[in-house]
Amino acid sequence: MTPHRRQLYARLSASFLGNSTAVLGAAVTLFVILAATLGAALMPYGPDHSDFLDILSSPSWAHPFGTDSFGRDVLTRVLYGARVSLAVSAAGIAIAATVGTALGMTAAYEGGYADVVLMRFADLLFAFPAFVLALFLMVVMGFGATNVSLAIALSYFPIFARLARNMTLLLREEPFVQAARLMAEPTPRILVREILPNIAAPLIVQATIGIAFGIVIEAGLSFLGVGVQPPTPSLGVIMADGREYFQRAPWVLTMTGVAISCALLGLNLFGDGLRDLMDPRLRQRAGQ
Amino acid sequence: MAGALIVYTVMHAAPGDPALAVLGENARPEAVAAFRYKHHLDEPFAAQFWIWLSGILRGDFGLSLTIAGGIPISQLIAARLPITAFIGLYAVLIAVAISLTMGTVAALRRGRAADTIATSVAVLGISMPDFWLSYMLVFAFALGWRLFPAYGFVSPIDSPLGALYSGFLPALAIAAPMAAVFARMLRTSLLEASSREYVAAARSFGFSAPFVFRHYIFRNALIPYVTVIGLQIRYLLGGVVVIERIFGIQGLGSLMVDAAFARDYPTVLACTVVFLTVVLLVNVVVDLICVALDPRRST
Repeated sequence: MTPHRRQLYARLSASFLGNSTAVLGAAVTLFVILAATLGAALMPYGPDHSDFLDILSSPSWAHPFGTDSFGRDVLTRVLYGARVSLAVSAAGIAIAATVGTALGMTAAYEGGYADVVLMRFADLLFAFPAFVLALFLMVVMGFGATNVSLAIALSYFPIFARLARNMTLLLREEPFVQAARLMAEPTPRILVREILPNIAAPLIVQATIGIAFGIVIEAGLSFLGVGVQPPTPSLGVIMADGREYFQRAPWVLTMTGVAISCALLGLNLFGDGLRDLMDPRLRQRAGQ
Repeated sequence: MAGALIVYTVMHAAPGDPALAVLGENARPEAVAAFRYKHHLDEPFAAQFWIWLSGILRGDFGLSLTIAGGIPISQLIAARLPITAFIGLYAVLIAVAISLTMGTVAALRRGRAADTIATSVAVLGISMPDFWLSYMLVFAFALGWRLFPAYGFVSPIDSPLGALYSGFLPALAIAAPMAAVFARMLRTSLLEASSREYVAAARSFGFSAPFVFRHYIFRNALIPYVTVIGLQIRYLLGGVVVIERIFGIQGLGSLMVDAAFARDYPTVLACTVVFLTVVLLVNVVVDLICVALDPRRST
C-alpha cells in the first residue's frame, strides 16, 4: 500500500466513523450477517427439529420467538431462514450488478446503436412494477430458490445498467481514459482497469440498497407461495407458515417480520450513510 | 408495445404445453388438437403474437385457460381493475396526507425533536415489508380493538362508504412505507428549495415567512415530490398484489396470483401487460402535473 493510499483510507475511515447513520447501519447489518451465518449453529435446536409436546407455545426463555405448529423453535428457523433469504437476495443482486454494470458500461463506452437498444430495453424492464415482473418470471421459470434469485436479478439489473452508463458517460472523455485509449489498451481492459474503479463506490451503495430490495421480493414471493418452496426455510416461507395460524400464535409471523425489518433497517441506514459520505453536497439528503 | 413483445416472447418460451396443462396429461389427441386450434396455438409464433397483440389493442386478451375456463380475460380484468384502482388511489391519498404533514413538519423544525422523530419513523417505515405491516395492523385494529374488519372488502360500486371503511387497513398498509419515502423526499426538497437565492430575495422584500413558504418554497419542492410519487407507483402496484391476497380483495393482484398458481398463462400475461400500462399512464399524468406545477411555465 502506498503512503498516498494509506492516507486516503485513513481519511475515509475517519469520515465513515463520523457518520453516525453509516456506523449504525453497518453495525446492524454486521449483526444480521453474523446472526445468519454463525447464529444458527449456536442454537440448541435444528431448523427441522420438532417437538410435538411443545407446539405453538408463546415466547419464553427456551424459545425466545416461540414455537410453530410443528413445535419447531421459531428463532432457529428465522436464523436459518435469514441465511437462505440473504443468500438468495445477494446472489440475485450480484448477478444484477455484474450484468447491469457490464452492459451499462459497454453501452456508454461504445455508444451508437448498442447504447440505444440496451438502454431502451433497460427502460422497459424498469417500467414494470418490480414485484409484478418478479411474479411473472416465477410463473414462467417455475417456483424455487434459484429462480427467485434470477427474478430479483432481472428486475434489478436495469438500475445498475442505468447507473453504470450515466457514470461511464461522464468519464469516457477524461484524460486518463483517453491516455489509455492512445496506448492502445483493449476496450475491456480500459473499462475494467480505468473506469470501473472510479464508478465502483455508487455501485456498491446501490448493491446495499438492492440487497434490501431482494429480501423484500423474496419474502413477498415466498409468502405468496410462489418463491422459495418449503421445507427450505426462508423468511418468506416462515411468514407464510405463520399466517396459517396467525390468530392462535401471532408471534411466528410477528417475530419473523421483526427480523426482516431489522435486516432492512440495517441495510437502508448503511446505504443512506454511504451515500451521504460519498457526496458531501447530499448530506442531509435522503430519498430513494 | 415493445414491452408486450418481450413478455409475450418470454411467456411463449415457458416450458410445458398449455393444452396439456388444461386438459390433463392424458387428454385425447383430438381434444388437444381442438384446444390448440381454438387458442391459435398451432399458428407460427409471429402469427400468434399478432393475433394476441391486435386483440389487446381492441381490448381483447383472449380466453382464460384454467382459473375461469373459457371466460374472456378482458371481462375478468374489467371486473377487477376498478377495485385495484380504488385501493391504489386510496393508498396514495393516505400516503400523501401523512407525508405532507410529516415532511413539512420535519423541514420546518429541522434538527429539533419533531424532525428527529419524523425522520426516524420514516426510516422505520421504509424497513417494514408492507405485507407484514398489514398483519400487524390487522392484529391491532381488527383483532385487538375491532375497529376495522380483518378480512374482506366491499366493492366501491356497491357501497362507496363501505369500501372506504373496509379498504382502510389494506390501503394504510400499502401507504405507510410509501409515505415514509415521500416524507423523506419532501423534507429534502423543502430544505433544498429554502436555501435557494430566490427565497432569500423574497425574504429580503419583506414578505412574511408563511407567504414565502407557500409561494416560493413549497411549490418548487412539490415537483420532485410528485416525481417520486410517480416512481413509487411501481412499488405500490407490487404491494397491491400481496395485500389484496391477504385481505381477500378481489382485485387485479389477486387475479394474477390465482392465475399464477393455476398456470393460467394468458391471464398472467394479460395482468402483467395491464400493470405495465397503468405504470406508463401514471407516468404521463405525473409529467403533466410537473409541467403544471413548474412556475417557470405558468404565466
